[in-house]
Amino acid sequence: MNISMNELKAALRRCFEASGYFVGNYEDAANMVLWLEKHGLNGLGELKNTLPYVGEDLHKSLSNVIYEDSTSATIDAHGRSALNCIASAVDLAHAKALESGIATVTVHNCHNRMFVLKALTDRGRSGISAAAYWKNGSSPITEHAAAIKSGHRYPSYSEATIKTNEHSIDDKQALTIICSSRVDLSLSLQNQDSTMISPAQVERNKNDCVEHGITIADDIWQEINRIGAGVLVENTDRSRQDAGGT
Amino acid sequence: MTTYAAIQNSLTGNNALPLRPENQVMDLERLGSFHQSRLSFMRTLVRRVFKERWKISPSLFELDNNGFGTVVYTVEAANATFSFVIFSDYLSDDERNDRVIATKWDLTMALVEGNVDAQYIEKLRQNVPKQEAGRVDSRVFVLSRANRSARNFNYVIDNLSQGKQPDINKIANVGYLYRTTAVYGSGKLGMADWEKVQAKHTDFARPFAGEMFVCMMLRNFSLLQVEHIAKMRSPNTFIPLDYDIKRYIGIGNSTGLGMAPYLVNHPQLISRWVEMRELALARVRTLGAIDQRIIEQLLALLARCLAHTQETITEDEWQTKKNVKIISDLQKLIAFSHAGIDSWNRLITYSEQHCSLQGQEMLVSVMLEIYPELVDELEDFHCTDELLDLDPLMPANTLKQIIEQRYNWALNIDFDAPGAKETYWYRSEEKMEPRLGSVSDIEGKKKQMALGVGYAVRKCYDQLCQYVNEHPTETTARFLVTFPKVRGIVRRIQCMNKCTYGDIQANLLDQHVLPMHLLRCKLAFFGVSKFDPRSKLWVRNTMFQGAPLLEDIGNTFSDNWFMPLTPKR
Repeated sequence: MNISMNELKAALRRCFEASGYFVGNYEDAANMVLWLEKHGLNGLGELKNTLPYVGEDLHKSLSNVIYEDSTSATIDAHGRSALNCIASAVDLAHAKALESGIATVTVHNCHNRMFVLKALTDRGRSGISAAAYWKNGSSPITEHAAAIKSGHRYPSYSEATIKTNEHSIDDKQALTIICSSRVDLSLSLQNQDSTMISPAQVERNKNDCVEHGITIADDIWQEINRIGAGVLVENTDRSRQDAGGT
Repeated sequence: MTTYAAIQNSLTGNNALPLRPENQVMDLERLGSFHQSRLSFMRTLVRRVFKERWKISPSLFELDNNGFGTVVYTVEAANATFSFVIFSDYLSDDERNDRVIATKWDLTMALVEGNVDAQYIEKLRQNVPKQEAGRVDSRVFVLSRANRSARNFNYVIDNLSQGKQPDINKIANVGYLYRTTAVYGSGKLGMADWEKVQAKHTDFARPFAGEMFVCMMLRNFSLLQVEHIAKMRSPNTFIPLDYDIKRYIGIGNSTGLGMAPYLVNHPQLISRWVEMRELALARVRTLGAIDQRIIEQLLALLARCLAHTQETITEDEWQTKKNVKIISDLQKLIAFSHAGIDSWNRLITYSEQHCSLQGQEMLVSVMLEIYPELVDELEDFHCTDELLDLDPLMPANTLKQIIEQRYNWALNIDFDAPGAKETYWYRSEEKMEPRLGSVSDIEGKKKQMALGVGYAVRKCYDQLCQYVNEHPTETTARFLVTFPKVRGIVRRIQCMNKCTYGDIQANLLDQHVLPMHLLRCKLAFFGVSKFDPRSKLWVRNTMFQGAPLLEDIGNTFSDNWFMPLTPKR
């Protein structure tokens, strides 16, 4: 079916709110999914993989800083989804970059890292260059890089499949974020088989989505709304009076 | 013509005009005392349509003798062509319901980009009458529905078909033939998002311009339809409605709690609207020259407001008392002004000392009315980017100081006092209708909407004080890594600190909170009149009463429908 961006955002907010995300985080999470989908980067596909586990973060520890100096930090996300923790990690990299010129924040034990792109893009808009790198999966293993220049509105994104023997078990579920207020960062994977989506293509994808809306599979739409129904209160005669009566 | 930079310079900095203070203006009861003004969205829309001489006429007129069928208006605006499509269906009296939860209506309608062909009209026909139960595509950008006035609709037809004009007093009692019960835009039900409308449809790229246009068209259709039905009923005796009665007929509107969360969830936009209104007032106070002609105009407008309020009919005791007070206020203002005024500031000061909030804000609307040359250009600046971006580098200590300066109203609320957290806002599973409950409903409380901004600020501030004591040099980003639960409110505080007028200052969780103030505030920005509360949670009102008619487009235009009065017979 076809839905608008606003419909998707509102439904996602309810979905994440019902899943126990905090005020502020559920807006961020909804915007992260929408941003990917709006810019042609398969936000709903990523979300489909996320939905079966979306309520589990409620029972996990909050992210915490396990190492920090003036130009870097390491955060343990305790297996949380990037939807539910990555925005504050990018904020921290941003703040350190403003103080030091360039900063790196590494997030460990974080799922769904593709969603970092929205947070990176926000940095570009606010005058900070930002980049991220992560690996994903086990068979096959893929690597991903995204970057945006200071003052720009759209990032580049690259993806490639890598050989198994190049992969270290230590970097599973890790994400490296680099921010700089002085250097324009531009990541491109060295892998010759990588595919890259340029900022210009990202912009074209957005324009198409704004014009025509979003096509969504019925099963995902129903699942988002089923979870989101958790914030709705049962309708009763007394409840109807809470709306002012007839 | 002014610029964004000039406006910013008027709001802040060394060259700023003397604006009313935030603590005065953003008080909820004052916001709920605002009235329509020449910056209201209906007024700005009508000015645009008439100044740009839009061509609007029916391109399809397929109504049967009873007025049921389909009508399509082609709208040739200044920049593009649009279609306004109306479906008129039979509805029995017992099915007629103004609540959001209704499922059938007398009229349903859509505003669509471009021209529509028969195939597309059929597609709309399959969906628009279903409203929330239907789906449309991104060519549509406003969807609405309306119900007939039980008191006026058939009465007017009966009279016209018998060759008589309706009694103007009966019209005055209600003021409309149809009442719209919802006007949807911004991507609801598959429609185009605001992002598209703003970027592509310049003609409607102001807040709620499309929605207001649909209401304006509904009003004009209602006049066309009653004349059509009356004529079909009795062609030999039928007479058309008198022009002045037509102009006096507006569109009814029922607004409930659904509008209230909008004001809380769009704080930057609301602040922007308030900024333009207050900037207009500051311009008048500072730049508005006063001479005898201006004083006569002031007296005439005050008298008009007085008559308008006297003509406002409501059964609601609370509103009746308010109206009585406004009438008294206006009489005082007239007497004071008769003695002669040489300064708007003096008149404002007088009103603040002697009038109710509603009387004071009525005077503001009157003052804006007198100086279109100082006010009207601000209508182009009601939009704003609604980006709630975090400033991660802001020192946590600075964040604390901002709360102390901009949110002192929230810190002054005793949230431990009885009743201070008694109310909660929730969404019903029935069409997700917003409702207002009591915390005694434990299950419902768990699902409450995050509208308690003041309380959230208080909780954030307490954590922040503790954090700043321990980490006096840390940034907001670092604070939020430690306290991620307050991310939403911190972002809001930082962003609203950049706005001249900030957040609405009220504890929306208080047991005595009056959502009516929220509804009234937004409706005043729309430009409605004749507030008629039906409970503390929903209100009837009238739109476009007194506005010029479609048939007037292209003729001389006088923007003179402020506070419309009953035509004299």
